[in-house]
Amino acid sequence: MALRAAILRHVRVPIQTLTLTGPKRQVRGPNGGSLRFLSSHGDDHMTKDDVIDRVLSVVKSFPKVDPSKVSPDVHFQKDLGLDSLDNVEIVMALEEEFKLQIPDLEADKIDSCLLAIEYIYNHPMAS
Amino acid sequence: MAFTLRSVKVPPNSASLEEARHRVFDFFRAACRSLPSVMEIYNLQDVATVSQLRSTIASEIRKNSHVTDPKVIDMLLFKAMEELGNIAEHAKQRHHIIGQYVVGRQGLVQELGTKDQGISNFLKNFYTTNY
Repeated sequence: MALRAAILRHVRVPIQTLTLTGPKRQVRGPNGGSLRFLSSHGDDHMTKDDVIDRVLSVVKSFPKVDPSKVSPDVHFQKDLGLDSLDNVEIVMALEEEFKLQIPDLEADKIDSCLLAIEYIYNHPMAS
Repeated sequence: MAFTLRSVKVPPNSASLEEARHRVFDFFRAACRSLPSVMEIYNLQDVATVSQLRSTIASEIRKNSHVTDPKVIDMLLFKAMEELGNIAEHAKQRHHIIGQYVVGRQGLVQELGTKDQGISNFLKNFYTTNY
């Protein structure tokens, strides 16, 4: 799963996707091909601001977190005073919000809002 | 529905505290991933939310966080896996789930920290039974 994600991140191939709305978009995106055409819901890939907002709202609604301290670069254990179990819980809440399945190796590394936002933004299946 | 759906993920013994810790987190993730199915089975949509149940599971795990012996942790994990398996395969009923995991989580002292280590054993035994 992680291997697939890593490969997808490096492959830039203009592919004609036959989505429900029909074949279209054989051309790369205007910003040099960082758009993904390989997943079936690749059309609705979110903007970074959208990801940031949703991640922050998930962290803020966590009962042990003080909402005023939450910012995009906050570290879960150091700044918010949570412990490792809370860390895992936040990652699970993010999995639920973005309908993802994050493998254990990756999940262990997600320690702060920054990493979470990075990971989710780069995940092809996030929605 | 296989009865061994979540069969023992706890092989002989954890080598160290670190490995036991990893097993605990794996169990927690497995439990969280099964939560939507549990909500569906027992029709808990009006009574609780997935995030509440997730916090409940976390606080149950935290109750035993003072344990340091990996074998004891393995035993607790085994019991937890068994419980999770029972819940996931509908071997329990709605009132069990509501009574054990939903109701009364706010006020109970027992879920706020680790089990009380401060009072003496004599008192603890006294409170539980006459004998």
